[in-house]
Amino acid sequence: MRSAVYGIGNILLGDDGIGPAVVAYLSSNFELGPEITIEDLGTPSLDLPNYLTGYDRVIFIDAVAADAPPGTIRLYSRDEIVAAPPGIRISPHEPTINDALIVLDFAGGAPKEVVLVGVVPQTLEGGMTLSPAVAGAVPRAAAMVVGELGKRYAA
Amino acid sequence: MTRFTVDPITRIEGHLRIDVEVDQGKINKAWASSTMFRGIERILLGRDPREAWLFTQRFCGVCTTVHALASVRAVEDALNLPIPMNAQYIRNLILIAHALHDHIVHFYHLSALDWVDVTQVLKADPAKASSIAESLSDWPNNSAKEMAAVKMKVKGLVDSGQLGPFAHGYWGHPAMKLPPEVNLIAVAHYLQALEYQRYANQIVGILGGKTPHIQNVAVGGVQNAINIESQAALNVDRLYQMKSLLDKVVSFVQNVYVPDVCAVAGFYPDWFSYGAGVTNYLSVPDLPLDEKSTKYDLPGGFIPNGDLSKFHPITGQKDEYWRKAVTEDSEHAWYKGGGPLHPWKGETDPEFTDWKEDGKYSWVKAPRFEGQPAQVGPLANVLAGYASGNPLMVKWTDAALSKISAIAKVKATPAMLHSTLGRHGARAVRTAVLSELAVKHWQLLTDNIVKGDAAIFNQPEFPKGEIEGVGFHEAPRGTLSHWVVIDDGAIKNYQAVVPTTWNASPRDSKGTSGPYEASLLGNPIADAQHPLEVLRTVHSFDPCMACAVHMFDPSGNNTAKVKVL
Repeated sequence: MRSAVYGIGNILLGDDGIGPAVVAYLSSNFELGPEITIEDLGTPSLDLPNYLTGYDRVIFIDAVAADAPPGTIRLYSRDEIVAAPPGIRISPHEPTINDALIVLDFAGGAPKEVVLVGVVPQTLEGGMTLSPAVAGAVPRAAAMVVGELGKRYAA
Repeated sequence: MTRFTVDPITRIEGHLRIDVEVDQGKINKAWASSTMFRGIERILLGRDPREAWLFTQRFCGVCTTVHALASVRAVEDALNLPIPMNAQYIRNLILIAHALHDHIVHFYHLSALDWVDVTQVLKADPAKASSIAESLSDWPNNSAKEMAAVKMKVKGLVDSGQLGPFAHGYWGHPAMKLPPEVNLIAVAHYLQALEYQRYANQIVGILGGKTPHIQNVAVGGVQNAINIESQAALNVDRLYQMKSLLDKVVSFVQNVYVPDVCAVAGFYPDWFSYGAGVTNYLSVPDLPLDEKSTKYDLPGGFIPNGDLSKFHPITGQKDEYWRKAVTEDSEHAWYKGGGPLHPWKGETDPEFTDWKEDGKYSWVKAPRFEGQPAQVGPLANVLAGYASGNPLMVKWTDAALSKISAIAKVKATPAMLHSTLGRHGARAVRTAVLSELAVKHWQLLTDNIVKGDAAIFNQPEFPKGEIEGVGFHEAPRGTLSHWVVIDDGAIKNYQAVVPTTWNASPRDSKGTSGPYEASLLGNPIADAQHPLEVLRTVHSFDPCMACAVHMFDPSGNNTAKVKVL
């Protein structure tokens, strides 16, 4: 099974950098092995499908807009991600994880197993540090990713 | 009179908002506004200029490489540092591959759905679609079997009750005009484009070390070790792997993308008469051919009032005409002061007032060239090429116009390029030109390496005191420039004047509108609840607004909302 772990977000915009921060934490604290791709993808939007094809399982870490205190971690299943309806797009920045999966479900090549580890941000103002609540969530989010990688899927 | 707003709503307020006023079915007033503060240049103050590119490539999630290269060029310009030829060619190839990828994605995956009605595919005859496609080019993947398979795929989607990636189109809108077979061809090529843009992206990865954030550039050159026999370096294998990817992309661009744009344009000739807007055009030369960046493969310059005979070339980053002409005005933008200020003196102090139609209404400043608004993007670049007689630009422009003329059965002329469709046509022309230049620059790099040149880097040295530099790049969305002031080796001021700032510019202190705003005036609106026409014109510029926040919203609220007032 080919797996990928992707951090999504902009490291220049405060807590939007949570995905890349968890990837950095995983890379320096865990040996995930050569069969697992781990990457800070930044904000790839329309380019995201390029990084998904060929993988059986993808775990995303991203900031999520959920009604919960900053630093709260929520897990989203593939079905929940795809259920978020795509809308009218003005610029190539807007497509998100759900769009990438929907495009590949149509075109072919979409990963079957997808999980999103979502962290609720406090601030998305310009700056390269995470707020304390979100920084505190980094090790927990990383542990969750490792836990997901350890799960055995019936392939 | 109707007033409406197209506003993508997210919890984090980013993005582009367009307000228009419609009278008797036509737009008579328009405002373009960015709803997100982009003061991220401030992160660079006090930093080492050699590292700035690592941060600037995070400005934008789509155009990472362009901000990396503009940044190193700005610092090199301040230092008057020459760049070894291998480094110039490697950078040029990265920039070309990125542009090929980006232009393909823009047409098929962002804007084609403004013109293509996917639901009409079910009425298409695959054999007829195949023969139309084969009459446009000799691309091998246009068989009736291929078209039938794509039709079945779309049928499966429609039968499932979900339109998948096409769910957000304005299906059945009265402004949709393509015959069913052309819709089918477009969807077939949408799928193929997914594959071919990936090859272009892989070229960026081979040279850049990885994508989306390249690792190989440096102030003074690149960090790609060159050794034709070493596995760890840029060697013969990698060069040929790149060439084989390049050949595939070149073929797709010339045999699929260009004919498709001509076909769509041929069925919508009306759209050559809408969307001209600001017809002052600005582009900068790119793809340097010498160490000091004085000769370029792509021309650039300024064209006032759409008059190609008044074309004023820009000769390079050192050209005083260019260096003195750029200012930014914040009279109608949410920043303190009004300006206009030169970017080296630029300020980024926010002053938010709420959206005020006669006051401040955008986070985008108003860039001006010699005090005037200017449209940037592939159209500006192609017109500069046409005006200066650049052989590749002239060849591909004339070929596209004659193809469009044959389909539309009206004579398509260069004057018609000042329009919504003209921007799509020019983007296809530029992509075709770049596809030829990609092969040329691959050959230049290979020849240079084979002749034994392995130089990749000149060491930068920072003097005491203050120096200034500008780095420009003719990016997929148009002229990008980074302006840096360095004091004792540390960044003192940094301003990025990005292509979308030129195009999405608000009014300036003289009240003159920017290109988006001006281009919407006179556009027809068939249905204010479904303003497809606004999307057509705005998308034709390839907006790059939300540089660059990303957040997943499980409620699906990351959609544009149309609010009719």
